Amino acid sequence: QLDHGCALHTAVRDGLSSVSTQDVPAERPRAVFHTSESDPAKHTEQHEGRLYNIPLEEVKVVFPHGLPYRFQQQIKTFNEARVMVRRPALEILAYLKGSNFAHPAVRYVIYGERGTGKTMTLCHVVHYCSRQGWLVLHVPDAHLWVKNCKELLQSSYNKDRLDQPLQASVWLRNFKTSNERFLQEIKTQKKYMWGKQESTEEGRPLGEVVDQGLARVRSASDAMGVVLREIKQQSHRGSFRLLVAVDGVNALWGRTTLRREDKSPVSPEELTLVHNLRKMVRNDWSGGAIVTTLSQTGSLFKRSSAYTPLELLGKEGFDALDPFVPIPVANYSPREFESCYGYYLERKWLQHEKAHTEDGKAELQFLSGSNP
Amino acid sequence: RIMPVRWSRYNPSYLEPEVKKESYQKPLEELTEEEREQMELKTVQPIKAAPPTLSSSVFSDPMISKFTNMMMKSGNKVLARSLMSQTLEAIKRKQLEKYHKAPENEKETIECNPYVIFHQALKNCQPIIGLSNITKGGKTYQVPVPLTDNRKRFLAMKWLITECRENKHRRTMMPEKLSQELLLAFNNEGPVIKRKHVLHKMAEANRAYAHFRWW
Repeated sequence: QLDHGCALHTAVRDGLSSVSTQDVPAERPRAVFHTSESDPAKHTEQHEGRLYNIPLEEVKVVFPHGLPYRFQQQIKTFNEARVMVRRPALEILAYLKGSNFAHPAVRYVIYGERGTGKTMTLCHVVHYCSRQGWLVLHVPDAHLWVKNCKELLQSSYNKDRLDQPLQASVWLRNFKTSNERFLQEIKTQKKYMWGKQESTEEGRPLGEVVDQGLARVRSASDAMGVVLREIKQQSHRGSFRLLVAVDGVNALWGRTTLRREDKSPVSPEELTLVHNLRKMVRNDWSGGAIVTTLSQTGSLFKRSSAYTPLELLGKEGFDALDPFVPIPVANYSPREFESCYGYYLERKWLQHEKAHTEDGKAELQFLSGSNP
Repeated sequence: RIMPVRWSRYNPSYLEPEVKKESYQKPLEELTEEEREQMELKTVQPIKAAPPTLSSSVFSDPMISKFTNMMMKSGNKVLARSLMSQTLEAIKRKQLEKYHKAPENEKETIECNPYVIFHQALKNCQPIIGLSNITKGGKTYQVPVPLTDNRKRFLAMKWLITECRENKHRRTMMPEKLSQELLLAFNNEGPVIKRKHVLHKMAEANRAYAHFRWW
């Protein structure tokens, strides 16, 4: 992905894929790349470098909006979704398994160079949590909220802030597909007024709030704020665990490219979506975890070679996110490269005749720089 | 000041660069006398600079590089090369999707390798006979004339590129359109093949003037 001129065969983004084999690594080195563990809970270090399969129905439910574009194309081409098990993801899973949910939520920040697999690691963690039955709050890319927004409305709830109905309604729709059953179980604890006539009583299921937001697009961002507040207040009771997964969290602190009608620039605090998300990411609630990813590709006004948390978040963001667990993600190790290469060969993605030879493999490794 | 356009300014004693890795890996004993002499000559005589299109990678292909050069506009080779790679990727994706959804017995008939498809499509588009304008007695006649290999390849590539540039909807991207055309040409369908057939028919119709040709 780093070299545009040389996209040849390594143009596809790949996830960790484990192919199924219940077997012995020493005997058949070819077929080792796949493993049959389709439950992320059982992934251990033995499975590192192998690819596991996610059935397509699950993909539609769990990831309505989270996967990177390249990976979605790959799923379409190969007709299956295979994600590789890698060390950063295993680390996070181990921490999640051992964490104490009575304490305030722990923050994990995944960072690394461009194209090394941060979003895929996040998706792996999201899949694990949804398998375990957690409530997943997945924000696919916070950069979409601070740039290229066509409609900005003045918020009815708070005069200074600006609303983004389009992005909020899209997010609410995807939230509904991924977390259907929780929306019936969680009840609101306060009465909310949407405008002069409509209101939601206390004790109604959250599904109604979400439907309200989808039906009345003008109040969609307020609906989202309500949903987030309710979930946060109820998570410490312990009836469900909450995972906040945000991709591109450096968009929340920094500058936006949006302007008001009088051409004055908008800072992120003035956007309702960003304000609410910042409240979620502060760790004053307990009963879950916050996993975030830094992203240079969508970030505004930052150097293209910046990838460390301090550079991308800026001082404000770094202070706000302060006690966090940093998790670096690197390019493929030789073993992971081998397994990826084996998978592509098997799926006939590497079509060139010379790609099967040793020379071809060495060349692919060099040209792609072992970058996923 | 004279700019070299079809000839080169090098001294004739300069030799061509040798790119293939295999020729350097053979141990000395296996070479014949002439080859040994050539190697010694290379150590002594000056060698021309290698052009940037010549690469020692296993994945390079002279036809593909010619095609990319023809697609290039105002010297933007980076763009042309990325378009070419996106086209090959698009072809591969379409064929792989068909392959993975097809039942077992049809799997062998589907061709997935984009290079093979590209070469076969070009071969299918090459005309066998061409027309040239010959003026005799004040009138110009279209005379059927045999074409050299280079000319056939050039015509096939030229037709493909002009076809893609003109006959498409405003919003379709070049790689998409090119991949469509290549797949059609691979199956002997599509507008480029039609153009080739039209040329053949014209040549057949003007058979009578074939004796005007003097070469």
